[in-house]
Amino acid sequence: MQKIWIIGKREFMSYFSSPIAYIAITVFLVLTGLQFFFGWLTIDPYASATDYFEANEASLRVLFEGVPLLFVVFLPAITMRLMSDEKRSGTMELLITLPVRDHEVILGKFLAALMFLIVALALTLPYVVTVYMLGNPDTGPIIGGYFGLLLVGACYCAIGLMTSTWTKNQIVAFLLGVLICAGFYFVDTLIGAAWESTRETLHLISFKYHFQNISRGIIDSRDLVFFLSLIVLAVLLSTYSLQSRKWKA
Amino acid sequence: MIKVANLQKSYGDFQALRGISFEVPRGQIVGFLGPNGAGKTTTMKILTCFMSPTAGSVTVDGHDVYDNPVEVRKKIGYLPESTPLYSDMIVYDYLQYVAEMREIPKSRRHDRIATITRQCGATKFIGQEIGTLSKGQKQRVGLAQAMIHEPQILILDEPTSGLDPNQIVEIRTLIKEVGKNHTIILSTHNLPEVLQTCDRLLIIHQGNIVADGTPAELEASAAREARVLLQVAQPENSPMDQDAARHRLSRITHVHSVAVAPGAGKSIRFEIQSDIGTDVRPDIFNLAVDEGWTVVELRRDSLDLEGIFRKLTQAV
Repeated sequence: MQKIWIIGKREFMSYFSSPIAYIAITVFLVLTGLQFFFGWLTIDPYASATDYFEANEASLRVLFEGVPLLFVVFLPAITMRLMSDEKRSGTMELLITLPVRDHEVILGKFLAALMFLIVALALTLPYVVTVYMLGNPDTGPIIGGYFGLLLVGACYCAIGLMTSTWTKNQIVAFLLGVLICAGFYFVDTLIGAAWESTRETLHLISFKYHFQNISRGIIDSRDLVFFLSLIVLAVLLSTYSLQSRKWKA
Repeated sequence: MIKVANLQKSYGDFQALRGISFEVPRGQIVGFLGPNGAGKTTTMKILTCFMSPTAGSVTVDGHDVYDNPVEVRKKIGYLPESTPLYSDMIVYDYLQYVAEMREIPKSRRHDRIATITRQCGATKFIGQEIGTLSKGQKQRVGLAQAMIHEPQILILDEPTSGLDPNQIVEIRTLIKEVGKNHTIILSTHNLPEVLQTCDRLLIIHQGNIVADGTPAELEASAAREARVLLQVAQPENSPMDQDAARHRLSRITHVHSVAVAPGAGKSIRFEIQSDIGTDVRPDIFNLAVDEGWTVVELRRDSLDLEGIFRKLTQAV
């Protein structure tokens, strides 16, 4: 347990020793700000309102619709270097010859990405304050929305971490991460649009569908189980990928 | 301390290690010697539990590397080839991190870092970012992180490669000093280094151990004949009759061949081969006195490890 924390802490600090973290967070905040006020990411044609002013209501619904999509690009960019950089520079050899177990390394890295996600989400709290100053919003969906963002974000982090264990190349890790996250996000929208009868089934594996359920403020065990099991799966696969150096015969 | 039995490792079709066995007792400094790709690094990676062997067993102080890797790693300090360290970290922070991972109690960490950086000569740049350090400085940090938990065993993969001659001497002295109370395994393809630092030599070639012993033992076993170098200065005005001199030298008992080569300046060099176990230097000296030669150098060609190394590691 303690090793996980030490690795996570080091990794988290190293985010802030380079400008990348600051740039990423700035871009993230600018884009969420645009989404909050203008809803530029809302692509659902059936949405009742696409921006904050048109909706004319004190809620964060528009924001919550856009952020998971933003995360598809933002989080793999945060996780891409976690393992691939260690492999490329050779520091992995020193890391895993310390007295740690492979799963502690992976969980430590995951923890660092999670902490970064929490920082990014915490920086969007001014929108919450804005909404409470302008009106009288319903608290349930706001808590649900943040909880949902945390879950979906953790899921993307785990997937990004997994792709990062597959390659020495950060860019490859990033692109694979984006591809998998986007695939799970759009699966029901895209295939469902072309092939209507599959839509119901594809909802079951869609990030968007499960996230929307939670962000309405209804926390259903099915959605929880979906996200948690994907996180566990991705973390397990990352651990196996790290262990695979010992399999090669 | 370390027991390796019939260790094998394959990468796909390539057999990197073909069943090597050796034991290292406590407190020995062992040098792995071999050409590139011989299997030195592979052996080290298995000892540090980075990789698993394809077959065979390795135990460190009774712990098997496969069944009990965490226990083994606790006993080992490791410096991989080319010293990969986090370049964006400050030296002190990095050592602090390693100390934490190595479970050094919080109260002792600071003292331990101070001691080890002093010992490794890294105190001066302890506040610098690792990415800004020179190769030699980085190597010192690498050694410091390997020894911070006072391991019983140190494994150093080419600790002096890429350093300048001054740095090599410094790092070598450091290793020797540390070796007084640690078991050390180091790999190198630098022969003088092995001679000066190691108690024992393992020459690895194409995944096999081709020689094992002290430098002196290896030399004795591989030497076929003794070689003496003689350098004679020529007088300004009367050049020496080289053929006559060669003839005289070759008449000394036990000598079987004499070669002539131009030496430094105007001197002449003779390379004299004689039977093994004989010393022909007194006879050569007496001859030189009789002939009135101005001897500027007379020495036995010392440890010809390079020759042994080449002989053992040339593909047959």
